[in-house]
Amino acid sequence: MIPGDYGVGIGWRPEIAGFVADLPGLRFVEVVAESLHAPARSIPDGLRDLRARDVAVVPHGVRLSLGGAEPVDPARVRHLAECATALGSPMVSEHVAFVRAGGVEVGHLLPVPRTRDSLDATVDNVRRTQAELPVPLALEPVAALFDWPGAELDEADFLTELLDRTGALLLLDIANVYANARNRGEDPLHLLDRLPLEQVAYVHVAGGAEHDGRYHDTHTDPVPAEVLELITQLCGRCRPPALMLERDGHYPPADALRAELDAIAHAAGRPLVTA
Amino acid sequence: MNAPLQEGIPAVPTIHAVSVIAAPGDTWGIAGPDFLKFYAITAAVLVVGALIFRAASGGGDGQANQGITPGRVAYLRGGAALAVTSSIAGLRAAGALAAPEKGVLATAGPYPSGASRLDWAVYDAASRQVRQRDLLADPGVASALTELRDALFAAGWLRTPAERARLRLAGFLVLLLAALGVARIVAGISNDRPVGYLVLLTIGVVIAGALLLIVKERSRAGSRAIAEAMRTSRHLAPTNAPAWSTYGLTGAAMGVAVFGAAALWSADPAFAEQAEIQRQLGASGSGGGSGSGTSCGGGSSSSCSGGSSCGGGGCGGGGCGG
Repeated sequence: MIPGDYGVGIGWRPEIAGFVADLPGLRFVEVVAESLHAPARSIPDGLRDLRARDVAVVPHGVRLSLGGAEPVDPARVRHLAECATALGSPMVSEHVAFVRAGGVEVGHLLPVPRTRDSLDATVDNVRRTQAELPVPLALEPVAALFDWPGAELDEADFLTELLDRTGALLLLDIANVYANARNRGEDPLHLLDRLPLEQVAYVHVAGGAEHDGRYHDTHTDPVPAEVLELITQLCGRCRPPALMLERDGHYPPADALRAELDAIAHAAGRPLVTA
Repeated sequence: MNAPLQEGIPAVPTIHAVSVIAAPGDTWGIAGPDFLKFYAITAAVLVVGALIFRAASGGGDGQANQGITPGRVAYLRGGAALAVTSSIAGLRAAGALAAPEKGVLATAGPYPSGASRLDWAVYDAASRQVRQRDLLADPGVASALTELRDALFAAGWLRTPAERARLRLAGFLVLLLAALGVARIVAGISNDRPVGYLVLLTIGVVIAGALLLIVKERSRAGSRAIAEAMRTSRHLAPTNAPAWSTYGLTGAAMGVAVFGAAALWSADPAFAEQAEIQRQLGASGSGGGSGSGTSCGGGSSSSCSGGSSCGGGGCGGGGCGG
């Protein structure tokens, strides 16, 4: 069910491709699927070199809109499948979110209303997607800076039922769990304990910063100690096949980036990828 | 000179035209076909010999992937101006240089580790608030550049002036042969002999001689070193919007060395603007004083992405790395 044991990885971005290529112990990267154009014909040199080293490359979709009321766009599903085939990926991942409605692009990953109807619609979309994919699909709940009114299920129930009915894996964003709990004044461990952790395919780890009393999951700041602590708690409850650093901008000097990867490895009790 | 004789015996020239035996009517007493044969063989021997001579030089020590540094690659590709621009980019990425104000450089942080002698000279000049445009004339920088150039001579990546003069000699020899051909053509015409084949051959010899006079300053070994640097620096291409703070001193310097000043513009436009670094590769205009004036790459870095494409016509005649 859960594919392999990859340890600590990193989000592959063209900006830091040279840094990623120099990580000797690396076995896992994720690439934004929409950043690959015509993957069947050509993939970036950096990714090809990683594949030659047998590093797993997981395409991560951001535009599928699984949580939308309308069926997923077959062309987008096909693109995900092509990415997985071209990269020999063990799985692909997408968000439980919607990015367009009635043909209008929102430009953001919006949370899905937690109602029975939208759960059914999301299940249908996930199944349509799975039917076309050559590999398992992992689903990532998005950061909810707000909740839609009229929720019939809570976050954990919605997710658990979605995974149960589709057999999809869970892509757990630990920084997100931390951000949501902190902004709601809740204990992140409560949410963690109610999630189907045995379904975790891999874990996103990202940095954030506090602005005006709210914690923002920025992906451009260092990973805070509290998130690292939550990783340790998580790894005391399950053994995620992979944990990866998501860094999307304000890239620090290589030494600082390496130190973050080492910190994640230590927090998770996994081997260092920097040596 | 023998014209009166020919006029007396009209049938003779056509016979001579196909004869291989020297006869009184032959120009310089050598039959046309014989001369043609001698001329062609001599030209072939000279040109082939010159090419072998040339190939034997400039191969370097066969270790093109040894000693590839951003400074060396930048100097090879764009001369002193690009070497200094590359050094500035590296120091900037390492946080050692501040954005210059009104073209005056300034330091912003401690001297970084892993820096080169040229980096040190540039950092030192910046700490003395030297103007960007005066950098090449700064004694410390100039001496570091001379050292860099000498190292490239020693590695065989650049040809010394003496070596280039020696290689050009072959071209002059071939042109001497061309002069002989011209003399024979003139004599042949005045002797009323067919000279068509000789004219064609001589034109070829003139062209070969002229081409042999072109001896690029950058040797084959130097071009190989650039190709190797490009092969290992694809991640630094401006299309990747490389994270220079992550790649640090050496990465940023190599990015500019390989992809030109366009790389600096893409990564740090505000700094590039302040630093008066031209969008064209290696500040081609301002580098004139040091004999750089590279024509490689023009406005876009991508046109320079192949190592060999820069060594060809566009950069011939010592335009590159000069």
